[in-house]
Amino acid sequence: MRYYLRKLAFYLVALWAAVTLNFLIPRMLPGNPVDILMAKLQQRGGSPDPATRRAYELLLGTDTHESLVHQYLGYLGNMATGEFGISVSDFPTPVSTVIATSLPWTMALVGLATLISVLVGTVLGVVAGWRRGGWLDSLVPATTVLAAVPYFWLALLLVAVFGAALGWFPLLGGYDVTLNPGWDGPFLRSALYYGVLPATTIVISSAGGWLLGTRNMMVSVAAEDYVLTARAKGLRNSRIMIFYAARNAVLPTVAGFAISLGFVVAGSIVTEQVFAYPGIGSKLLQAVQSNDYALMQGIFLIITVTVLGANLLVDLLYGLVDPRIRTSG
Amino acid sequence: MVRKKILMRTRATAVLTAAVLTASACGSGGGAKPGADVTLVAYTGQSSDYQVNFNPYTSNIGGIGTIFEPLFFFNVLRAEPPQPRLGTAYSWNADGTQLSITLRDGVKWSDGERFTAQDVLFTLDMLTKHKESNSVGYNGTATAPDDTHVVIKFAQPSFVTAPNILGRIYIVPEHKWKAIANPATDPVSAPVGTGPFTLAEFKPQAFTYAANPGYWGGAPAVKKVRFLALSGNQSGQQALQAGQTDWQTGPVPDIKDIEKNYAGYQATIVPLNQIVLDTCSNTALGCTGPQTDPAVRRAIYYGLNRTQINTLAFENTASEISPGFALLHRDDAVISTRLPERTAPMQPDVGKAQQQLESAGYAKGADGVYAKNGKPLSLTVTVVSGWSDYITTLNTMTQQLKQVGIKLTAQQLSWNEWTQQRQNGRFQLILDSLNQGPAPDPYYLYSYFFATGTTAKVGTRAPQNWSRFSDPEVDRALAGLTRTDPKDTAARQPYLDTIQTRIEQAMPYVPVLTQGTVTEYHASKFTGWPTPDDLYAVPAVWQAPDNAEVMKRLKPTGK
Repeated sequence: MRYYLRKLAFYLVALWAAVTLNFLIPRMLPGNPVDILMAKLQQRGGSPDPATRRAYELLLGTDTHESLVHQYLGYLGNMATGEFGISVSDFPTPVSTVIATSLPWTMALVGLATLISVLVGTVLGVVAGWRRGGWLDSLVPATTVLAAVPYFWLALLLVAVFGAALGWFPLLGGYDVTLNPGWDGPFLRSALYYGVLPATTIVISSAGGWLLGTRNMMVSVAAEDYVLTARAKGLRNSRIMIFYAARNAVLPTVAGFAISLGFVVAGSIVTEQVFAYPGIGSKLLQAVQSNDYALMQGIFLIITVTVLGANLLVDLLYGLVDPRIRTSG
Repeated sequence: MVRKKILMRTRATAVLTAAVLTASACGSGGGAKPGADVTLVAYTGQSSDYQVNFNPYTSNIGGIGTIFEPLFFFNVLRAEPPQPRLGTAYSWNADGTQLSITLRDGVKWSDGERFTAQDVLFTLDMLTKHKESNSVGYNGTATAPDDTHVVIKFAQPSFVTAPNILGRIYIVPEHKWKAIANPATDPVSAPVGTGPFTLAEFKPQAFTYAANPGYWGGAPAVKKVRFLALSGNQSGQQALQAGQTDWQTGPVPDIKDIEKNYAGYQATIVPLNQIVLDTCSNTALGCTGPQTDPAVRRAIYYGLNRTQINTLAFENTASEISPGFALLHRDDAVISTRLPERTAPMQPDVGKAQQQLESAGYAKGADGVYAKNGKPLSLTVTVVSGWSDYITTLNTMTQQLKQVGIKLTAQQLSWNEWTQQRQNGRFQLILDSLNQGPAPDPYYLYSYFFATGTTAKVGTRAPQNWSRFSDPEVDRALAGLTRTDPKDTAARQPYLDTIQTRIEQAMPYVPVLTQGTVTEYHASKFTGWPTPDDLYAVPAVWQAPDNAEVMKRLKPTGK
């Protein structure tokens, strides 16, 4: 029990620290939303004049002279009640609405892709590590190369080949814009179809990491005494591989997976840029580029909470799975 | 064996490609009847999903000109009187304190209600009441003697506010908007307007306009217009390459061969923004550095090889610039004859540049760089990182000015940081551009960037006059223009002469080139695009309300 209480206390302090940084960091960015909006209007051939600036300052309420402490207290109160404010770059939409419309896309795409990548990588890693020196093992360097290739380059390459040259998959977007988003057959099919290429790039570029990690763990676990004992008992090879070696070898992978689940929410900004995919990553980019404090804080908070949540979950599960940690930690 | 395999694979790919090609060909042309139901697909550069907002006073996605119309349309590209829209005529009294507007009769809102002077009054009063919406600086008092006339009274002469009031106030329906609690923050998700289009559907990835069958000018020939959300210029270029968008603004590689690279597409280039080096020029307001000396600014002016910059950085899409900042071609009639050069020299004149420096007390050092009082003539220029054409410009300039004996150091900054620096005046030189106003009149550019009223001390935020330029003669001339009827060209000219000659002498912004805004469009699918021979509106897809004028004129070719 003490173990769990200590963990919870630690996460509460971590959450407070993260929320506070989340308040301070955006305010250290140079520029302010109105200036950036004006500069954008000007760049776009609009003709912002001094009156336009005054109107926007009033509209966005950026001309307040509240003290930083005062703002901070108000911010803490708003965070507690889930009141994230109004997005400046998507004026006048509330931040919660902006996040709600973009988060599901990222979670579905990056979440599924991460799951597939972990499963594929781990299974291949287990087999490669067990049959050391086999043909699969000799493929390990190739997957490492794929993981080392700059992600955007791989993505652009796949777009050029399968999207532009062969035309098998759509180039851009998250769904066919002539369809109405909803839980119906044609729309889901279209969303799935549009998701194949982005998901494939994530799997290709990340599976190598999981594969290598699992394979190396398998190799060291295979040298353990209990594996030798199992062999001596004359158990089936596949049984030893799965229940004796792999079960211990995938422990770090489980931890890594939980942490990467936290990052699923952060999205993959590059994926969303290359494929013009409608997710939280592109919204975060937009927020940073427009000094949209409210939207930035909203997105960062969601990311922080999920990363912390995922870590907490792993900690608790670990205590359950591995009694050694509970007592010695 | 191996060769056979490869051969087979190649053949399979070829067959597949052919199949896909036929399929896509059928999809785009086969099904649709010629002319009917062809959708115009536009991409404005929107870099993430849309959130609904069709309030013409806060929207950055649409509704301006398309759904909500102004009283008149001002074409900033041609020196011509504004064209009537919801208004049919307007006139000023002699001293510019009273504006009388005649409204169009028989116009209906898209929900069938009649449009009257009460709607115009309601809109104007809304701007007075809700300062947050008043982005045009409207400060009059309006009355409506009858259903088709509106009279606006001002406290002082206000000739120059006409383009903002007549062209940038979008009339909203009183019967819908009076129920809105706060018109400044309402997203108006179901807009009712008088314009040529109505909102057909809205999705985060795209929204679609439909032609308004009851439009007073007749329903537009293009029945559907879709605006896409992609992830920025790179994805926009991909979509253009794949023929998925019909209309886009922004540079594409190898623009002069556009018809060869993109089958069926053409491009129109319009000179609009003027590329300059902003200089923090005014020591009285706190500027420091060699660029505060006009001789240094003029030496840079003469040392540039503008032809080379145009070729290397802009694929020759930029054009000449006048040192008095009147927009060439459009403002030809008002360019001052008292300017020593009507346009900035396209070729460098190293001798003249060096002469400027030497007469200001600079002497060439052993390293080939000029110096004064032991301080070398070295300047830092900032540019936004990622603006590749501007960065190339800067690199070219650095080489060119080295020949003169001026050392430039380029510094790339993030957009946010750059904006802040420009605002605060903590810079020496910035590669930037000056924008035009709401009407084909250089007055607006002068009043934004050269007036004492729009600047501030270094360290505090200047609204627009980044160079900190302040000249009583220019201020007097600008004040004179606000009191002069724009139609009285003879009375305006002395003021414009003063401004142009003063800013040419002081040169707080060093003129570089006039930037060309490049718009690509699907000419084989639609006709009626603005071309250099007929620039009836700015062709840029993001320029509102000009884009509504273009959408209104286009006709599907049926191909």
